[in-house]
Amino acid sequence: MHRRTFLQMAAAAPATLAAADHKLPKYRVVSHYPAAAQPGMPGPYSGHVASVHAAKCMDENTEKPDPATVRDMMTRGMRALTSDADVRDSWARFIAPSDVVGIKVNCSGAPGIMSSPVVVAEIVRNLITVGVKPGAIWIYERFQDQLDSVHYDRYVPDGVHIWAAETSRGSAESYDPATYVETVFFNEDDTRSNLIRLVGNRFTKIVNVPNMKDHGAAGVTGCLKNIAYGNFSNVARSHSGSETTTYSFIGTLAAVEPLRSRTVLQVMDGLRGVWHGGPFSPNRKFRFYPKRMMFGSDPVAIDRLLLDIIDDKRKAEHAVSVWDRSAKYLGAAGDHGNNPNLNEFVREPGHIEYAGSLGLGVYELDKIKVTSVEV
Amino acid sequence: MPLAFLAVLWPALFWDRPMETADTLRKAGIERLCVPAGQEQAWRKQGFAATPFDRARAVQAAAPKVEYHMDVASATRVPWVDANGWRFEREPGRAFFYDARAGSAVLAAAEAFAYGAEAAIFAAPEDLTPFEAMLKFLAEIDQPRMPAMANIGVIDDGSDTMAEALNLLARHNLLFHVIPSADPKYDLNIRHVPEAANPYEFAMKVRRDLTDEKRLLRIFGSNVVLVRLTGDGQQARVHLLNYGQAAVKGLRVRVLGVYAQGKLAAFEHPGAALEDYSAQDGATEFTIPEMNAYAVVDLKRDSKF
Repeated sequence: MHRRTFLQMAAAAPATLAAADHKLPKYRVVSHYPAAAQPGMPGPYSGHVASVHAAKCMDENTEKPDPATVRDMMTRGMRALTSDADVRDSWARFIAPSDVVGIKVNCSGAPGIMSSPVVVAEIVRNLITVGVKPGAIWIYERFQDQLDSVHYDRYVPDGVHIWAAETSRGSAESYDPATYVETVFFNEDDTRSNLIRLVGNRFTKIVNVPNMKDHGAAGVTGCLKNIAYGNFSNVARSHSGSETTTYSFIGTLAAVEPLRSRTVLQVMDGLRGVWHGGPFSPNRKFRFYPKRMMFGSDPVAIDRLLLDIIDDKRKAEHAVSVWDRSAKYLGAAGDHGNNPNLNEFVREPGHIEYAGSLGLGVYELDKIKVTSVEV
Repeated sequence: MPLAFLAVLWPALFWDRPMETADTLRKAGIERLCVPAGQEQAWRKQGFAATPFDRARAVQAAAPKVEYHMDVASATRVPWVDANGWRFEREPGRAFFYDARAGSAVLAAAEAFAYGAEAAIFAAPEDLTPFEAMLKFLAEIDQPRMPAMANIGVIDDGSDTMAEALNLLARHNLLFHVIPSADPKYDLNIRHVPEAANPYEFAMKVRRDLTDEKRLLRIFGSNVVLVRLTGDGQQARVHLLNYGQAAVKGLRVRVLGVYAQGKLAAFEHPGAALEDYSAQDGATEFTIPEMNAYAVVDLKRDSKF
């Protein structure tokens, strides 16, 4: 039988669904970096989230954020998290003047949704305020084309680096050959996912800036997904047919040193969000406006709150829950992008709880302290 | 390098165009030709080293290339690769003919060279200059041939099913020898492929049975680079063929065995050197910063080149 003939036949057969009781892949984590005495994740504010809402932070018609309101949100959110009177003291708990800081943005949904340049500019301003030189600040993402489309350079001072790991898709030269997670998911030949070199050899701290988004494979994409899939190569291999291994892969990647130790602050940009079709956002009808930012050092706690934000919105829109694993909601390729009751994959929102089991943070809602702020 | 030094098994341009095209060949720097029988004397009078080539008796090789079939579901989402390494392993000693007019002559020359196959390659006139550049590169890196290294032995029954199995073993860089009977020197002997077997699943079973840890050579960072490994125990040569259109950057290679030194030669990247070299725990790893159609890495057990 010819190979191509077989594969066409295979496409007609129903895909095997991921079992609810996940069989974990065998992972081999290779890293020579030691963990910090107190790793950045979950960090000093384990189980604590400062959640700031501001009705004026974004104009829903133009989708333009209001910089003054964003500044106020960030100031009050950071102070609420750390209980400091002066926001400079709040930032100084995470960042020292000598640090080289990577700001991990999320541009996969641009131009519909991304780490807002206004939010990123405010983070940069705060970093400079505590003494970090512009040249020691790196705004970074995996893919050059996505990063370029946002034009962060128009919002930040000269000297701030804006850098992508893959100038052309698939190029591996910016990844560390000695720091990787090796595993076989779906018979792929390339079984390694390597960490971005800068994380190990340049950055001393990382600020993670995810968005509030639905995700066709992971259920939602927030802190964990952005820091994990956004810092390693060759991660798309975790999806095949209707199945994904995001359940365990996201947490496994996020826990790799030095990524875990150096990611000290989570700033979730929820000025706008995506309730279906994520991580991309070509269709505006699936965007919504939480007008909320969340601050913390614990990515699991923030993502646990995100889960409810996305699922509640989906419920309000009469869309199937991110928790539904039924095969009847699996859509043909492309259809899920327009129909909120069709999934591309069996979603794995349990990846957040799994990351909690790896010690990356607190998952149980009754153990998460939320300090709410209204601006 | 004098032509006389070149190995007998050497890729060459196949040319059946009229004698009036001689200037086109000269401008491209072409000196050697394979021509239809009976035309060699006329071409020699024009100053070319022409040898007759019987296209009808040659095995047809596929024009090497990669194809992305987005409309066809696949188990692994990897692109199709049309490659001939498995054919060369299956039919050693045969002459091969490539109709490589669709821009694949450069890769065809590298592929035939990597496998030590006698091959005549028909190239489009616009490809003659890069084709000749590849031939010059091959001449520069030519050295006495070493045996192909493999730890899978395959007893070939000649069937179409086996042909596809061999193709897929090569596609997934599972290095094999075609052997007449089972031999304990191989880690794995394949005696039979059931006629009804799915060749892809069969190749994956071979991979699982062998285990990735025992694979002689692995690559990370591309799914369109195929490899061949030759060696004699003290030294080894890694041939890397990029079937994709784009350059491959940051390709990581793992070779089983500890080699103290490695040296890179990459087509169109003079002076390129291996990066992040590591030889420990029974394996050697290195990164090729960038490669186009073809690169070779020479490895030595001792520390001197």
